[in-house]
Amino acid sequence: MNTQNLIKPTLANSLASALAVSILAMAAAAPAHAAGVDAGTLIENTATATYDDGSGPQTVDSNTVVVRVDELLDVTVTSLDGGPIGTAPGDEVLTFEVTNQGNGPEAFELTANPAVAGNDFDTTVNNIAVDTNGNGTYDPGVDQILASPETTAVLAADETLTVFVLVTVPPSATDTQTSDVELIAEAVTGAGAPGDTFAGQGVDGGDAIVGTTGADSTATGSLLVGITTVDLIKSADVVDPFGGTSAVPGSVVTFTISAEVTGSGSVDNLIVTDAFPADTTYVAGTLTLAGNPLTDASGDDAGETDATGITVDLGTVAGGTTQAITFDVTIDQ
Amino acid sequence: MKLSTKIVAALLAFAMPAAPAFAQDGAMQLNGDVMAVKTTTDASGAEATELVAPTVIVPGDRLIFGTDYTNSGSEAVTDFVVTNPLPSAVALAPDADPELTVSVNGGNNWGVLGTLTVTAEDGSTRAAEHGDVTHVRWTLASVAPGETGRLEYPAIIR
Repeated sequence: MNTQNLIKPTLANSLASALAVSILAMAAAAPAHAAGVDAGTLIENTATATYDDGSGPQTVDSNTVVVRVDELLDVTVTSLDGGPIGTAPGDEVLTFEVTNQGNGPEAFELTANPAVAGNDFDTTVNNIAVDTNGNGTYDPGVDQILASPETTAVLAADETLTVFVLVTVPPSATDTQTSDVELIAEAVTGAGAPGDTFAGQGVDGGDAIVGTTGADSTATGSLLVGITTVDLIKSADVVDPFGGTSAVPGSVVTFTISAEVTGSGSVDNLIVTDAFPADTTYVAGTLTLAGNPLTDASGDDAGETDATGITVDLGTVAGGTTQAITFDVTIDQ
Repeated sequence: MKLSTKIVAALLAFAMPAAPAFAQDGAMQLNGDVMAVKTTTDASGAEATELVAPTVIVPGDRLIFGTDYTNSGSEAVTDFVVTNPLPSAVALAPDADPELTVSVNGGNNWGVLGTLTVTAEDGSTRAAEHGDVTHVRWTLASVAPGETGRLEYPAIIR
């Protein structure tokens, strides 16, 4: 904050300079951030002495010494993803937070690096976007995609910005593979070793000095591929009226549908439907799931039947499980 | 050396005509300065500190504010009290002389830091800390003609 510029234009008379300084001294009390007083703050020190020289009390002021606080360049980046994001080939969003840890306004250039050592595969970085509406979730068409070179708006001291890295997981990625994506933020004024100084490039023409973070920071987001597949295997057992296994009118056919879910993830809303074959009639009350009977009515359990077929809602099914559904029909006369 | 750009004397132009006038009228003269404390590490790893002009200063840096006094009169002066309000952007350094007389309430009450308390908004009190100090003060019973001395306090930029 430039205190002088804020205050001086309001004072137009000859007292301006005197007033400005007295107000400045008070204004300096306000800024106190994690990173310390604002860059550009003037620190003024004056000592006053009183004494008796034999003729009565006297007062004398020292000269006032003034130093200006320079701009500290510091930044941190953290991943806001609570751990590896479960993903599959296609588009994915990684979420980061960039914090201006310095004491002055600063913009930061962002770089996303998908080629991190140890990756099973590398993603393709499509864009870097900022959380324009501040809801923490990437909203296509709402959250601003940064043009190259990707640079944030100027962040005030202590200000944070949520940033999204939009990537594509390649089709070649296979189940349980992992991939890291790094987001690097670097102060636009410059980065380097702590203590490096950029003369005259700080607030109000002061200097900018690289802080303990080196004025750049890197955070890593992780992806974990969980590809889950569902296989439905249908089989039929026939019992004919004569004790044999011939498919003749009057034979009872028991259909078994095995829903086999494989992979490290899980599937949601797995619904198995099957139509009754032509020229057959469903045997009421024969629907089962994992050996347990289900009613034909809808709404009371996972299964239901109607005139045309059966429906069983398996809900969320974890990889590595198999569930069997059975029902009987008779072959029409 | 960028001292001239850091010491923004021009801003304080109004104060300059007044101060020397006082100083010339009275016996005592005060001359303030500020230095930054720079810590360097030599090849053997030993740390050394030196005082340098505060060319680049940032929060956490250490400054030494000093005031030189001179009795330029022909008579001794008595009850010489130098009061120095701390700039709000700095805190008294934790290693300041514990015997230094300070105030934590704008100069209303004085004492060594260890004897002072701070009252919170809710009425509770706690021991005063270095960061609470608003003023420092030195008292000399008398200063002989021609005698000079230096008063200083260390501060950390908040």
